[in-house]
Amino acid sequence: MRAATPHGKVHRRDFLYLCALASGTLAPGMSVRPVFAQGAPRKGGTLRVGFYLEASTMDPHFSGSKVDRQIYHNIYEPLLTLDVKLGIKPGLAESWQQPEPKILVLKLRQGVKFQDGTDFNAEAVRFNFNRMKTEPKSVRKGEVASIESVDAVDAYTVRINLRRPDAALLATLTDRAGMMVSPKVAQERGAELERNAKGAGTGPFEFVEWVKDDHLLIKRNDGYWNKQGGPYLDRVRYRPIPDDTVKLQSLQAGEIDVIDYVQPRDVAAVRADKNIVMLDVPSLAAFAYQLNLTRPPFNVKALRQAVAYALDLDQIIKGVWLNVGTPANGPVPPTSWAYDRTIPYIKRDLAKAKAKLAEGGKPSGFAFTITTANIPINVQEAEVIQAQLAEAGMTAKIKLVDAATQLSDGNSKSFDMISYQWSGRPDPDGNIYQFFKTTPGTSLNWSGISNSQIDALLDKTREVSNQAERKKLYSDLTKILQDELPMVYIVHPIEPKAFSPKVQGYEPIPDGMMRFKDVWLKA
Amino acid sequence: MAGSIRGSGIAEAAAVLPSRALTRGRRWAVLRQAARTRLGPLGAVVTLVAIAVALLAPAISPYDPLKQDLGNTLARPDRAHLMGTDNVGRDVLSRMIWGTRVSLMAGFGSVALAVIAGGMLGLVAGYAGGRTDGFVMRLMDAVLSFPPLVLALALGAVLGAGLGGVVIALGVVYTPTFARLMRGQVLTITAREYVEAARALGAPGWRIAWQHVLPNASAPIVIQASLSVAFAILAEASLSFLGLGVQPPGASWGSMINAGRGYLQQAPWIVFWPGTALFVTVVGLNFVGDAVRDALDPRLRT
Amino acid sequence: MGRLVLRRLLATIPVLLLVTAGVFALIHLTPGDPVDVMMAESVDDSVKATLRRQLGLDQPIYVQYGVWMAKLLRGDLGRSIRNGEPVIENVGRRIRPSLQLAALAMAISLVVATPLGILSAARRNTSVDRFGTTFALFGICMPNFLLALLLIFCFGVKLRWLPISGYMDPLEEGLQGLRSLVLPALTLGLALAAVVTRTLRSSMLDALSEDYVRTARAKGFSESQVIRGHVLKNALIPVVTVLGLQLGTLIGGAVITEYVFALPGVGRLVVDAVFARDYPLVQGVVLLIAIGFILSNLAVDFLYGWIDPRIRYR
Repeated sequence: MRAATPHGKVHRRDFLYLCALASGTLAPGMSVRPVFAQGAPRKGGTLRVGFYLEASTMDPHFSGSKVDRQIYHNIYEPLLTLDVKLGIKPGLAESWQQPEPKILVLKLRQGVKFQDGTDFNAEAVRFNFNRMKTEPKSVRKGEVASIESVDAVDAYTVRINLRRPDAALLATLTDRAGMMVSPKVAQERGAELERNAKGAGTGPFEFVEWVKDDHLLIKRNDGYWNKQGGPYLDRVRYRPIPDDTVKLQSLQAGEIDVIDYVQPRDVAAVRADKNIVMLDVPSLAAFAYQLNLTRPPFNVKALRQAVAYALDLDQIIKGVWLNVGTPANGPVPPTSWAYDRTIPYIKRDLAKAKAKLAEGGKPSGFAFTITTANIPINVQEAEVIQAQLAEAGMTAKIKLVDAATQLSDGNSKSFDMISYQWSGRPDPDGNIYQFFKTTPGTSLNWSGISNSQIDALLDKTREVSNQAERKKLYSDLTKILQDELPMVYIVHPIEPKAFSPKVQGYEPIPDGMMRFKDVWLKA
Repeated sequence: MAGSIRGSGIAEAAAVLPSRALTRGRRWAVLRQAARTRLGPLGAVVTLVAIAVALLAPAISPYDPLKQDLGNTLARPDRAHLMGTDNVGRDVLSRMIWGTRVSLMAGFGSVALAVIAGGMLGLVAGYAGGRTDGFVMRLMDAVLSFPPLVLALALGAVLGAGLGGVVIALGVVYTPTFARLMRGQVLTITAREYVEAARALGAPGWRIAWQHVLPNASAPIVIQASLSVAFAILAEASLSFLGLGVQPPGASWGSMINAGRGYLQQAPWIVFWPGTALFVTVVGLNFVGDAVRDALDPRLRT
Repeated sequence: MGRLVLRRLLATIPVLLLVTAGVFALIHLTPGDPVDVMMAESVDDSVKATLRRQLGLDQPIYVQYGVWMAKLLRGDLGRSIRNGEPVIENVGRRIRPSLQLAALAMAISLVVATPLGILSAARRNTSVDRFGTTFALFGICMPNFLLALLLIFCFGVKLRWLPISGYMDPLEEGLQGLRSLVLPALTLGLALAAVVTRTLRSSMLDALSEDYVRTARAKGFSESQVIRGHVLKNALIPVVTVLGLQLGTLIGGAVITEYVFALPGVGRLVVDAVFARDYPLVQGVVLLIAIGFILSNLAVDFLYGWIDPRIRYR
C-alpha cells in the first residue's frame, strides 16, 4: 500500500527541493512546478480525499460555500481558468476580446460536450448567465451584476454586454460565475440538480453519487475534450472529516490519500513524516478582524489605531501560525499581482498605541469583546492578541461562537471586534470591494465603514482595465485602509496540503482549489 | 455512563428509599458507617483536596495561568514547569490548579441548581398531588426525553457560551432527576404513620416538610448529588469540546484536554494532567456517593 | 393489559407536546438563522429575504409553530432547509449507522460485563471482585472523548489495526464495515460495560442473598449450578432495564463519538443541524429521539412488569 523505500527516497529529494523553493520565495508570482513527475502516468485507481466540511450543494449557481468549489473545479469547467501565477488562461472560452470597455466577446472552444452528451455552445453560455441573473436562489447575482445581457453572436461566439466597465469580470469568470451547466440538465432536473449533478458539467470528472455526510463520488469522464494529459484516475472519493486531528490521522493511517489543509501546529510533524508528502501552497486567503465603526468604542479612529499598534504581528505569525503564513499589510495577498511589497505591515509600537489611546480619549485603556469562531487556531490567536492588548492597557474579553452566531453577529453588527476569514479571490476586487464599499443594509461590510475616498477608489478599480494602474489604485487603498482600519489584517496563511506518496502529478494553484485532472496514483 | 452527559440511569434505578425513618441519630450512624468503609473516606479526602485547591488557587499556583510565553511553548515538564507548558507557553500546573475552580463550579453549581429547582418541583408535585403533580411530572419527563447534549448546546447558544450558560444548561438537564427523587420521597414519607399522626395533630404542611420529609430525603439526594456532580464535571468537559463552557483564555480541565488534543503526539502532558485530575476527582466523588449508599443499605453494597 | 398499554401511550402525548414546544422555542431563540448560514459568502440581501419568505421564516413565531404542528399532525415532519430532503429521509439515512453502533456497543458491553459481573459477585471481595469493581469505576469515570483519543492513537495510528474514521455498512461490506465500527463501539461499549458490570454485580449479590439460594445450596447444588439455574435469570432483569434505558441515549447521544470517528449517525445529524440552524431538522430529529426514548422506557417498564409480577400493576 505504501510506496517502497527507494521511491520514498527520491520523493524526499524532490520534496526538499520544492520546500526550498517554497520557503525561499513567498513573493508574488511564485512558480511551483508540478511535483513528483516521475514515470509515466498510470490510469486507474480511486483517490480518497478528506475535507473538513460537507459540501452543501452541487449547483454552482446556488453555492455560497467554499468547500463546494473544490468539487466543482473537477466536474464543471469555467469559461476562463487560472495558471500557477494566477494569470488568466483560456478555459471553455478559447480567446476573448474587449472591443469596447462595456463589451466582452468570448470565442468558445469547439467540440466540447457536456457529460450528458449535449453540445457546449453559445446558447448554453447564454442560458447559464440568464440563470445566474434570474433564478431566485442564485447566489451569483452579485458577481454578475455588471452584466446587462448576453448575446449568442454565432454558435461559438458570445458577446457579453456590460452595464459598466468591470475590470474584475475576467477573474470572476474563472470561478463559479463562469462555470457552465448543461441547459438540458438544469431544465429537466430543476432543484434536483443541487443533489444530483450527473451529466451536468464538461469537466474531466463526472458526478456519480452523493451520500450525505458520508462521501461524494466522481468518476473519470472518458469523453473529456482535452486529450492532453489526464484524467487518469478512475474515481475520486471525497469524505467530510470535520475533525482536523482525525483527518490528519486518517492520512497517516493510510485511510485517505489527500487532505486539503494541514494545521500549522502539525506542519513540523508532517514534514518529518516520511510517509506523507506536504506541499506549502501560498493562498489568497486572509485572516483579519473587523472592527465595528457603528458604535463605541471603535467608532473612534484613534482607538482602532491603538489596537493596530498594540498588536505584534511578528509574534502572532511566529507563535500561533508557526510561520505558516506571512504578516498581512492589507487585503491584497502576496500571491496577487496587485500586492505592493513596499507597504510594510503595521509593526508593534506600544508608545504609539498609548499615544493613540490618549488621543481617542481613553488614556487608561478601555474594555471590549473579541468575537471569534470556536476553532483551535482562532482561539489561540485570540488569546495571544488579548495578552498583547493588555500590555497596552486594553482589556479584551474573548467570546467564542459557532459559525451561525458569528454570521448573525457580523451581519447585525453586534460585535466590537470580530474575526473574519476570507478564502480569497484571484482578482483583488473580490477581496476588497464588498468589504469596504458603503453599503446600506446587510452586507459583508460588517465594519460599517462609509468613506467617500475609499468608495471613489473602489469604483475606479473596477473601471480601469490597465493592470499597472489598478495596482497603483490598490496600493492607495491599502494605505488608506491602514489608516482607517475598518479591518485589522493579521496574516495571509499558507495552506499546506498533504498527500500520500502514491499521489503523483498534482499541480497546486494558489487559489487553493484542488484540481485532479492530471493526478495519477502509483501502483 | 460517561457517554451521556446525564450519566447512567443506574443512580436513579437504585435510588434508595430508607426503610426506616432517618432520625437525626440514625443519620449520624449512617455517616459513621460510611466513614468506616475503606473507600468512602478516601473519596471524601480527594473531594476535600479538590475543593481546597480550588479555594487556595491564587496562593498555591506557581505562575499566572494566563501568562503566555511564546518562546517556550510545548515545553517538557521540568523543574521550572512541573507539568510542562502548553501551546502558548502557559504553565500547565497553574492552569490545572485554576481549572479546578471552573470544573468544580460547573459540577457543584449545576447540581445545586438542579437540587433546588428539582427539589422544589418534587415537593410541590408530591404534596399537591392530582393535576399539579401530573403536569410537573410530565414536564420533567419532557426534559428527560430531550437529548441532553442538544439541550445544553441550544441553551448555551441562547444564553451565551460562557460558564454561566453551561451551569444553567446542566442544571436544567439534571433537574428532573432530583424532582423525581424528591417526589418519591415525599410520597413515601407522608404515607408513614408518624407523619399521619403529625397531621392529625394539626401540624401545618411546611412544618411536616421541614421536620420529616427533608431530613429523610437528604440521604438519597446526597447520594444522587455526589454522583451527579461527578457527571456534571465530565459533562462540562464534553461541552467544551463543542465550544461551550469557560471562554478562553480561562482554563477548565475539559477545555485544556480539548485544546491539547491536537498536540497529543508532541506534548501529551497537556492532555494527561488535566485528564488525570478530572478522572481522580470524579472517582473520588463516586466513592463518597457509594459509601453513603452502602451505609444506608448494606445489601446493595457495590 | 392492552388497555394499560393504551393508557400509558396516551399519557406520553402531553410529554411530546411539551417537547415540541420546548425544542421549537429553544432553537428559534438561538442567534442567527439558516439563511445566514447557507448564504455566508453572499452579499445579496434581496436573495436572503426571498429565501426567508419562501421558508416562512418571516412570520411571527407562533404562526410558524402552528404551521409546523399542523403539518406534524398530518404526519409530515417537514424538509431540511439545508438539503431540501424530507426530515424523515435524513433520519432514515443516519439511523442505520447509529443503530449498528449501538448494537455493537451493547454486544461488547455484554461480552465484557457478564462474566465480570457474575464473577465479581460470586467471588466477592477477592481480587477478581476488586478488578471488576475497579474496571467498573474506571469505565464510569473516564471521559469518553479521552477514551476515544487513546483508542485512536493506540489502535489506529500506532498499531494501524483498525480504521479510525469513516463508516462502512457491515451489512453491505461485511468485515470491512465491522472493522470501521470497532473503535467507536469500543469507546461506547467499555463505558456501558462499566455500568452493566455494576448493575449485574449488585443484582447478583441481591439474588444470592435470597432464601431460595440458601435452600438450593443446602440441597447440595454446586455453586455454578445455583447461579446458572436461578440467580442469573433474576439478576439479569435490572441489566435489561439499564440497557434499555441506555439504548435511547446511545442513539441520540453518541455525538462526540460520532464526531471524533466521522460516523454519519443521528447524534451528529442533530448537532450539525443546531449549528446550521436547520430548524425543521432539529425539531424533527429531537422529536423522534424523544419518541424513541419514551418508547424504549415504556418497553422496559412493561418488560419489567411482565417478568416480575410484583411490579405489574402500579
